[in-house]
Amino acid sequence: MLSNLIKTEWLKLRNYRAFWLLLAVTAISYPGINGIAYYGYMDSIDARTQSGKLVKMLLGNPFAFPQSFHTTAYLSSFFTFIPAIVVIMLITNEYMFKTHRQNIIDGWEKSTFIAGKFISVVLVTLIVTFFYLAVASVIGTIATADIDQAKMLEKSHYIGLFSLQVFCQLSIAFLLGLLIRKAFIAYGVYIFYSFILENILSGFFRMKSKKWGMDYGHYLPFEISDRLIPLPPFIGRFNEADNKLAIAAIDKHVLYTLVLTAFVWLLSFYIFKKRDL
Amino acid sequence: MPVLEINSISKAYGRIKALDNVSFKIPKGSVFGLLGPNGSGKTTLLSIVLDVLQSDSGRYNWFGESPSHLHRKKIGSLLETPNLYHYLTAVQNLRITQSISGRGNEEDIHAVLEKVNLHERKNSRFSTYSLGMKQRLAIAAALLGNPDVLVLDEPTNGLDPVGIAEIRDLIKELAIDGHTVIMASHLLDEVEKVCDHVAILKHGHLIACGTVEDVLSAEDCLLLSAADQLLLTEKMRAYPGLLRMNTTAEGLECYFAKGASSAEMVNRFCFEQGLVLSQIWVKKKRLEEKFFELTNE
Repeated sequence: MLSNLIKTEWLKLRNYRAFWLLLAVTAISYPGINGIAYYGYMDSIDARTQSGKLVKMLLGNPFAFPQSFHTTAYLSSFFTFIPAIVVIMLITNEYMFKTHRQNIIDGWEKSTFIAGKFISVVLVTLIVTFFYLAVASVIGTIATADIDQAKMLEKSHYIGLFSLQVFCQLSIAFLLGLLIRKAFIAYGVYIFYSFILENILSGFFRMKSKKWGMDYGHYLPFEISDRLIPLPPFIGRFNEADNKLAIAAIDKHVLYTLVLTAFVWLLSFYIFKKRDL
Repeated sequence: MPVLEINSISKAYGRIKALDNVSFKIPKGSVFGLLGPNGSGKTTLLSIVLDVLQSDSGRYNWFGESPSHLHRKKIGSLLETPNLYHYLTAVQNLRITQSISGRGNEEDIHAVLEKVNLHERKNSRFSTYSLGMKQRLAIAAALLGNPDVLVLDEPTNGLDPVGIAEIRDLIKELAIDGHTVIMASHLLDEVEKVCDHVAILKHGHLIACGTVEDVLSAEDCLLLSAADQLLLTEKMRAYPGLLRMNTTAEGLECYFAKGASSAEMVNRFCFEQGLVLSQIWVKKKRLEEKFFELTNE
């Protein structure tokens, strides 16, 4: 059953050029953003200048192992919107071609269809995590003068945190595609909400946090998983108290993210089951 | 045991009743035509029995059992439009159908493509196909693995006259091989040529159902001519059991309750009235005629 599901989803994806093209864009964007940041950092710590020495002293080396896992996860997370477009495309295409109906007509249960999409989102998450891991490893190797194998993997838990964050945000993208059905509207809503509206709401809740005794902005749909990867220390040290709190809250946010992701998928199963196709 | 049994199915879209308490049975091995004007509920009904839509009330059974996805795997279906992946070729699309339904194998995929005359374009992407070719591929998907039951919603949509004739022959072949074919169509001529059973829907109501023979001949019709057509009309008004008359260019059409009269009885009646008929012809009603009669307001 599961192998048949994986096989069928693979048959849908294997020859889908737009899918591979967008993944290629993701593959380029991760080394792109991290490479720019790395070379920017290298320029700013130019040992020949006084300011360079000062910057190096202040920032340390955020791209060396083991910090590389955290820094690249943080920078790469800005580009989750590209695989999110892939995921929205995967579900809205089914609506556009009406193949979601045909899959049911040909003998799938409605829950099987959503399970197939769950597998596709897991696959995209694994591919994206692989890109991140490759970038973190390559930049870490380049930036570390003397690799200490014992300490190298100290922050490798960010691999799991990154992949959980990506999976959660891709799951939200999937739900949007499932609800909205039209690709461009779903992309627009995703981009508008994740880049604009949630930041406005986040700022609003932060402003009200003293009055309300709590920052409810931490529980917004994207913020829940954004908080899995707090600011890397080289940025976070400018607001050390907040950053310590953010790091301490990671475990709680792992739980919140898991609950939110489970909710998103249960809701997807429910909607597809109840909806006329 | 019927292949499909529909019991009191109703479905509404807001205030519009798409189906109202529809019930009928589809016998095994029949070629069953589902007829009705646009918006009569044909596709809604087929969508419900294929689990794409949910009915508001009523139920249906496939093969005498409560419906499940396992039944749908055994049914080759084409619903409304060809629903296939535009970026995939014919073979790649059929591999997905095969993987989901479990019907057929790689060899069968090529066989059905041959059957619908698409083998030469088997490696072309679906998006490059003409409407007729897309329809053929959807029919190929329905035929994959030689299912016992086929549900074909407007199977001749987009096909040229040769294509229509090929599909007609294909359906006849399937019927000879013992398949059950459920076919929704508004091409009455086609339905009459291939179907042995028919159900007619209008505004979501079932208005006729049975064998084509039964539905067509609920009444007997005789076409009469005489030298004095006016006198014939006048005399026939007094004929016992006459339902109605209709004057046409061919003669006087006289309708009787089924079995209530015969050409011999009418001929004798006219002769006794001093009229000699120049023509008496048992007129067989065509499905198209019956359809308009039933579906017109």
